[in-house]
Amino acid sequence: MISPKEDISLLEREPRFEDSFCSIQAVPKIPKIQHKETRILVSHARRFNDEVVRPLALKTDLHSFEDPEYLPWDLVKKANEWGFYTMFIPKLFGGQGWSLPSHTYVIEELSSACVGIANVIFVHYLGFMTCLASWNMPLVNRICRDVAEGERTGNPCLITLAITEPGAGTDVEEVELVDRGRVTCLAEKVKGGYIVNGSKIFISMGHVSTWHAVVAYSDLKKPSENTVILAVKTGTKGFSFGKHEDKMGQRACCASELVFEDCFIPDDCVLCDSRDFHNSPIRSTADLVNQLIHYVVEVTRASVGAFGTGVARGAYEHALKFAGETAVDGKLLINHEWAQIMLAEMYKNVIAARLAYVEANYSNSLNGGVLNFLQIKPVYYYMKFVPQTVIDLFVVPFYKTKIFNWFMRQVFVEGQSVEAQHRCSGWSSIAKFFGTDMGMKNSQMALEMMGQTGLRHDQGTEKILRDSKLLQIYEGTNQLNRLNLFNCLIARNVSQARVFEE
Amino acid sequence: MLTTIKCELKSFEDLAHSFAVKELAANREEHDRYPFGPFFDSVVTKAHEVGLLGATLPEECGGIGQDISALCIILDHICAADASLGGIIFTNALSQEIILAAGNKDLLADIMGNAADARAALIACTSFANPAETGTTLEAVKIEDSYLLNGAIEYVVLGGLSGQALVPAKIKGQEGYSYFLVNLSDRGIAKSQPVFSLGLHACSAVDLKLVGVAGKIIGQEGAGAKYFNHASDRMHAAVAAVQCGIMKGSFHEALDYSQQRCQGGKEIINWSGLRMILGQMAVQVKIAEMVVSEAAMAVENQEYQWNLYTRAAALHLSELACKLTTDGIQCLGGNGYMKDYGQEKRFRDAKHVQAFLGLAPMKKLSIIKDMLA
Ligand SMILES: Cc1cc2nc3c(=O)[nH]c(=O)nc-3n(C[C@H](O)[C@H](O)[C@H](O)COP(=O)(O)OP(=O)(O)OC[C@H]3O[C@@H](n4cnc5c(N)ncnc54)[C@H](O)[C@@H]3O)c2cc1C
Repeated sequence: MISPKEDISLLEREPRFEDSFCSIQAVPKIPKIQHKETRILVSHARRFNDEVVRPLALKTDLHSFEDPEYLPWDLVKKANEWGFYTMFIPKLFGGQGWSLPSHTYVIEELSSACVGIANVIFVHYLGFMTCLASWNMPLVNRICRDVAEGERTGNPCLITLAITEPGAGTDVEEVELVDRGRVTCLAEKVKGGYIVNGSKIFISMGHVSTWHAVVAYSDLKKPSENTVILAVKTGTKGFSFGKHEDKMGQRACCASELVFEDCFIPDDCVLCDSRDFHNSPIRSTADLVNQLIHYVVEVTRASVGAFGTGVARGAYEHALKFAGETAVDGKLLINHEWAQIMLAEMYKNVIAARLAYVEANYSNSLNGGVLNFLQIKPVYYYMKFVPQTVIDLFVVPFYKTKIFNWFMRQVFVEGQSVEAQHRCSGWSSIAKFFGTDMGMKNSQMALEMMGQTGLRHDQGTEKILRDSKLLQIYEGTNQLNRLNLFNCLIARNVSQARVFEE
Repeated sequence: MLTTIKCELKSFEDLAHSFAVKELAANREEHDRYPFGPFFDSVVTKAHEVGLLGATLPEECGGIGQDISALCIILDHICAADASLGGIIFTNALSQEIILAAGNKDLLADIMGNAADARAALIACTSFANPAETGTTLEAVKIEDSYLLNGAIEYVVLGGLSGQALVPAKIKGQEGYSYFLVNLSDRGIAKSQPVFSLGLHACSAVDLKLVGVAGKIIGQEGAGAKYFNHASDRMHAAVAAVQCGIMKGSFHEALDYSQQRCQGGKEIINWSGLRMILGQMAVQVKIAEMVVSEAAMAVENQEYQWNLYTRAAALHLSELACKLTTDGIQCLGGNGYMKDYGQEKRFRDAKHVQAFLGLAPMKKLSIIKDMLA
């Protein structure tokens, strides 16, 4: 028999068992009833698709061409009424607290009907994740309570992430690049807060959101060690919106310019300042900033994989419907063998893309993954069955205490090994670029199969192609995500490998 | 210059190039806008004046009387700037080719001779459909020597712009389909609004409803498929040229942008990951040039099975163009997705153009059918 020591050494060989089979390690630890939540949410999403998304998707797209000033207030209001903006915010922060990993399945559902509208909802969680990854509990709580209040009162309150700048897109996503980049968004420390100057571009849902997690830099020469994340509220003096973009697709979801001119942000709206980070034995300040960014994208890139899967599915469903209704050369397309093979290929693309984001979810559910904590059984059941008022009375008051914040940092910052970070980040990149490539592939295939019919706006298929392309660009271009995968899961075995150093 | 195409055609190249620069490049975004406006009318008028709408039309019909190479050169240059005009030239040329295949030169001479303006000279047709593949939805009834057409027909390209349309219809009680020329101002024709579509916005199509509309038969009854196939075989070379132009436009914009945009402390062209994408695009563009030249020469020299060259060219370059134009966006990052740049339009146009002349997969199958025949 193999000795335990040998066993470990064999399984640590590449491909490492721990990194390759996330699901079989995670599933036994996940609370059993969690999958029921997923079922409920998927059916909720399907109903939302029937009642809201499908009736509005094409209309909104067309309207956005007719009225370039269109902003999706109507959709935001609907999504707010349906409870989407608090759905995945933990009860710890006054949200509905549905299981976070389920959000990807909901994304796939909504994206299969309209990925633009899916983004109207889920970009908000990109903002939420950024706030969360600062582990600044009082401020996260304050922002999320505003979201909950917005839902209660019918005045939607959404959160964005604002990191991209006119001169720095790829650069701001990678700590290794940012010091060489042309970042300009300066946050100068002054008494009682920071003065922000600069601008951010392409910020999804900017114009219609209330809180913005703005990534700025206190020293533009060395941004990697001088990163400040500020929570900026719409209406703050010195903060305004510039234009919103005229995009090829996903026109339901605006992309905004955010302008800061001597904008004062008080200390209590600072999510984090990397100069306050305490170096750990395994991470320098820049590494801690990197960890923070990766905490966000570990979840959100898997989400973009789910967007891609949904798009791939939508395209497949359009092609299937067309093939079942259209005669070509005297018989229904669906009865041409080549068409059956093409449809099977598209179906496979959906399944494989889904497997990738699901596996990324499981990777995030393992030790060191951001989704792990809320899935630990006692925590899960406590959160699920203890009434909100009890949490508000007995947990929330601790947020302001040093010990609580120390505890959170111990769990999430110190507690995440570099290996776990690499596993989670690597997997989310795989899910992202694979899922979105499949979205593009299936959209192209659907149009090939449908010919002239697919070109018409009123059929909805061409919109899927236009919408799909964005997914390969944001949350790091697919090339950047390939490099991130290389960096996380490949380079570590090749000591002479260097990334971004050519 | 397309590689092997004869140098006598240099003047067409110059004409198309300067037209593209002067009339198309600067206003590309404006011309592409929806809701559609009359913004492209002046471009079409000028294209008509300089002869771009009659490159392959015989001189006796009022055209320039060139063969397919000249058309390919024109389309290549025009489409590098704005493929919408390419779509208009293509559709009109396809109509002309079908009428020529049917031996109705006089009719074309009449149309061109009497045309007071571009509109009157243009002939709309269903340039995205192969009627034999998807069937015809119009029915013609013969009453003595004339025909009356009834029914609905979708996606008649240029139907909103031109004076007449060439439409396929089935004559009651007969096999196959026939082509008819209808006057688009006929009171029996109801036109939809221009159909908003993926690409080629300024080359829009309309849906038509015909009730008792007089149609002039083109060639013989029931011979529509024969005319279409002949014209389509030639025009596949033109599809390849359209795609080649789109590819060049996308490649050049990516190449320019990547020399200006800096990330990670250097121009992005100096990251080998991006340079590899550009390298791939460059290879595809060079292959496209060769393919178009060879396909056009095969037509002109009437080489053995020349039609396989043209169809293979169109199919292959359509696939390449769809791949290349998505990379073309990618090289510009977020900017590539915005209408301020030309890349997103080229991406849409390439996919749109792939659908010219019928379903792409069916075209592949028909190549084998023809090889075995
Ligand atoms: C509609 C839309 C919505 C968005 N929403 C948001 C949002 O909500 N919040 C936000 O902060 N940002 C958002 N973004 C920004 C998005 O994340 C960036 O567009 C993306 O990261 C790419 O950056 P860039 O556009 O500056 O491209 P660039 O970084 O300029 O990249 C251009 C090209 O160069 C390549 N490249 C760059 N560096 C390298 C390198 N080192 N090696 C190899 N290749 C390289 C890229 O892969 C790409 O092909 C959005 C973008 C869009 C288009």
